[in-house]
Amino acid sequence: MNVMIESSMLERSTASTAPLLEIRDLRIEYRGRDESVVAVPGVSLQVGAGESYGLVGESGCGKTTTAMAIMGYLGGTGRITNGSIRFEGQELVGATDEQLRAIRGRRVAMVYQEPMSALNPVKTIGAQLAEVPRRHLGASRAEARELSATMLENVKLPDPLAMLKRYPHQLSGGQQQRIVIAMALLARPALLLLDEPTTGLDVTVEAAILDLIADLRKQYGTSLLYISHNLGLIASACDRVGIMYSGEMIEEASTAALFSQPRHPYTQGLLDCIPAIGSAKGTRALAPIPGHLPLPHERPKGCWFGPRCAHFNQSPCAGDSIPLLPAGDDRHQVRCARWQEIVAPPAAVAARRTALPGRATALAIANVSKQYPLAGSRRVVQANEQVSFEVGKGEIMGLVGESGCGKSSLARMVAGLEEATSGSIRFEDDELARVPANKRAKDMLKSIQMVFQNPDSTLNPSHSVAWPIRRALRKFGGFTSKAAIDKRLNELLDLVRLPPEVAQRRPAQLSGGQKQRIAIARAFATNPSLIVADEPVSALDVSVQAAVVTLLLDIQKEQQTTLLFISHDLALVRHVADRIVVMYLGRVMEKGLAEEIFTPPYHPYTEALLSAVHSPDASARQPERIRLTGETPSPIDVPPGCRFASRCHRKLGEICDTVAPPVRQASATHQIACHISLENLRAMRPVFEKALPEAHTS
Amino acid sequence: MSSVEPNAVPLAVRTAAAPRRAWTKLFRSRTAVIGLSLILLWVVLAALAPILPLPSPTAQDAMAMADPTPSAGHWLGTDILGRDILARLIFGARTVLVVAPLSVAVAMVAGIALGMLAGYFGGWIEALVDRFSDLVLAFPVLILYVILIANVGASVLNIVIATTIASAPGIGRIVRGLVLDLKQQEYVAAARLRAESTFYIMVFELLPNCRGPLLVDACLRIGYTIITIGILGFLGLGLPPPNPDWGGMVRETTTVINVWPLMSIAPSVAIVSLVLGFNLLADGMREAWKP
Repeated sequence: MNVMIESSMLERSTASTAPLLEIRDLRIEYRGRDESVVAVPGVSLQVGAGESYGLVGESGCGKTTTAMAIMGYLGGTGRITNGSIRFEGQELVGATDEQLRAIRGRRVAMVYQEPMSALNPVKTIGAQLAEVPRRHLGASRAEARELSATMLENVKLPDPLAMLKRYPHQLSGGQQQRIVIAMALLARPALLLLDEPTTGLDVTVEAAILDLIADLRKQYGTSLLYISHNLGLIASACDRVGIMYSGEMIEEASTAALFSQPRHPYTQGLLDCIPAIGSAKGTRALAPIPGHLPLPHERPKGCWFGPRCAHFNQSPCAGDSIPLLPAGDDRHQVRCARWQEIVAPPAAVAARRTALPGRATALAIANVSKQYPLAGSRRVVQANEQVSFEVGKGEIMGLVGESGCGKSSLARMVAGLEEATSGSIRFEDDELARVPANKRAKDMLKSIQMVFQNPDSTLNPSHSVAWPIRRALRKFGGFTSKAAIDKRLNELLDLVRLPPEVAQRRPAQLSGGQKQRIAIARAFATNPSLIVADEPVSALDVSVQAAVVTLLLDIQKEQQTTLLFISHDLALVRHVADRIVVMYLGRVMEKGLAEEIFTPPYHPYTEALLSAVHSPDASARQPERIRLTGETPSPIDVPPGCRFASRCHRKLGEICDTVAPPVRQASATHQIACHISLENLRAMRPVFEKALPEAHTS
Repeated sequence: MSSVEPNAVPLAVRTAAAPRRAWTKLFRSRTAVIGLSLILLWVVLAALAPILPLPSPTAQDAMAMADPTPSAGHWLGTDILGRDILARLIFGARTVLVVAPLSVAVAMVAGIALGMLAGYFGGWIEALVDRFSDLVLAFPVLILYVILIANVGASVLNIVIATTIASAPGIGRIVRGLVLDLKQQEYVAAARLRAESTFYIMVFELLPNCRGPLLVDACLRIGYTIITIGILGFLGLGLPPPNPDWGGMVRETTTVINVWPLMSIAPSVAIVSLVLGFNLLADGMREAWKP
């Protein structure tokens, strides 16, 4: 986004006298049967006309509750017990349903995280869109239809008239979210609330949606309130930022001030948790924040972040509750009693890994294809096609791509949960491509284990968390006595930094991060030599993500395990991996050492992926972004040429559609599958300028 | 492991989020408690029947036959053959409370096996189970019972067999639906990577997570089965006389219902109260355990 526009908007918003939305000392409680929980004890914020405000925090910090309070959707148990919400000068707390109805959807609209659940599956897009102008603007049927079609054009959906006749399930996730945005904007609201608007979407789609929202904001002058856990998104999309922690605003400033000079130790910690896309593996260690977000009844006296803070001092931190203090110009406020004394610690520098070449090959994947037959037809879904790469012993291979690129099906084939249709998967000296888990020898199963994606499904809710670990020890470890199993179990829990008491708990009693730690302990219980980690941290909050990734890397380093690390998060993969394979629609686009992937020559798809990353890291600001049009095509009946041709911004011409691209050898370790010549690929501009070692030093 | 790692501090274990135990939750539901009380009332009466100061349920009191209305010796009166109604109700509960849960338990085992196989393996196994289920479910349940019982004769064993054949497909459908979802869970994949047998996965990984819906369904089915046993008794297909049988008690007295209505009303109320108890318990479970 253009910085000039951002600053001019900021001036305009600060110049106007009354803010569009003003929340003051808002207190929200949830009343239970026996107790009530103070979700938000007192939050204040202002959104000016035309301003874009970002509300950031980890799950459970109260950001969504605050947004729901603005809409008046607190459910049967939520109550606003104090404070005020003024919108366009009108008080919303205590307003009648009728008054709220006149505002909701008309003056304030909301875009939810899950577009599919915001759309009615049995009504056409046209019927759902037309409801808005018919109800709020009193438009006639024909006018409403016209307005809907125009709005679909504005949200850049192809062929609006045909789109009006479709049903939600006929659209992709990105298209659905565009429809929801169109619906929200149809009544020309003054304020748009966006609750994690792009969380479920692929990076290239997310980038396009964010651009769209920025364009529409310019066009209609709508104020935005973004709610997100994604600091990178907030950094590029917002003028002002508020950081929430356990229901409190702990720091608020303009985006520029907050990201260049974060004052609160929690804000600094959050930024240190995020792998920087601009810096290479080994140049900066992730610094997880110890402990966890306090639940409402666990909030300590004084500073609520105190128990997790490295700068904690009995006085003044444990004394009276700490107010928001002004910290510098531009309405920068921070809820830290010691902010003036605190200097952000220099980022921890991780030991650089030694060079890799010369390692024996642990896993060799050659020409692997996987097809799923479609029920009731002769067509097939091509999940993987001619995938080849090798991973050395003790290396970390990053497998990157957007949804539908076949990275998970590849992981499942390596682990033995699926069989390859053709090709070869060799692990050490065994051929595994056609050997599913139940046909694998015990030693083989023991050597290849998997860490899964979803903390809520990785452990059986009916058993204690120790159950699967005990089973694995009994089956593979040769342990027979209960004492020996318990001893090893405690060692494993210690390995993942969990106290022995967790062993007897049920998964429901653990947090997401703790469940993923148990899943890691389970995978390492058999002393495997290869771990397949399929998006192991994508469901976790940033601070927890940093802790779990660091843990996984520590264990991997100590045990010299080979790791196949699958992720859609490029910054994370850059932080983790030694080698990277970039996949698109079942095919390998580019593979090489991690550093080779992040510098030209790029495959055009890699270039677009890198360009789509939103990073709070100032060194990673990009002079220009590449935007892909359209969405990943269906893996059914794939075209004969390059898989990426339909969306490629550097497409050469017909050759891309009809002829499979040659594999170009950019270096001994770096391959790119593209029709563009190596010289031309080398001539590309780097997506990131030379990275500075540290983004924020105050 | 060296101790300088940034996350060497062990994460605090959440203590507060501990979910209330399933049974504690259940006992907080008023619906469930009322249902359970009704069931327990009958269970206690049935269990204590031999030591309660009751006349024999088959003994005929010639004195009472002239006036079968309630009296000090017969609190609910007698039937037309002079047998004590209260005693027959309480002794009748003993059969119902054994036959109905037993039938449902056997049907559950069969249904769970069918559903597990169909849901877990899919393919031709699922097709086979489905067609068999369709065949059974196509018959109205009552007609199915009448056909079965009329052909093989009424006995506890035959009622159990009939209920199993009639209920297993329905239970199988529930289990299949649950398993289709559960088998995709990552913990099942983890179990496969641990070389667990298919039998282990079905019994220890999948079945425990079906227990909520299955318990609710079992309660409802026990209720239906009690009604069915009543209907069979009413149609003369119940347990052979002189066994006290609630449905049979209603049938034997329909001819005199205008004269001595209590003879029909008492066993009807008994059936209703027990069925209601199981239904309320099922509702309470659903309410208390809803996710």
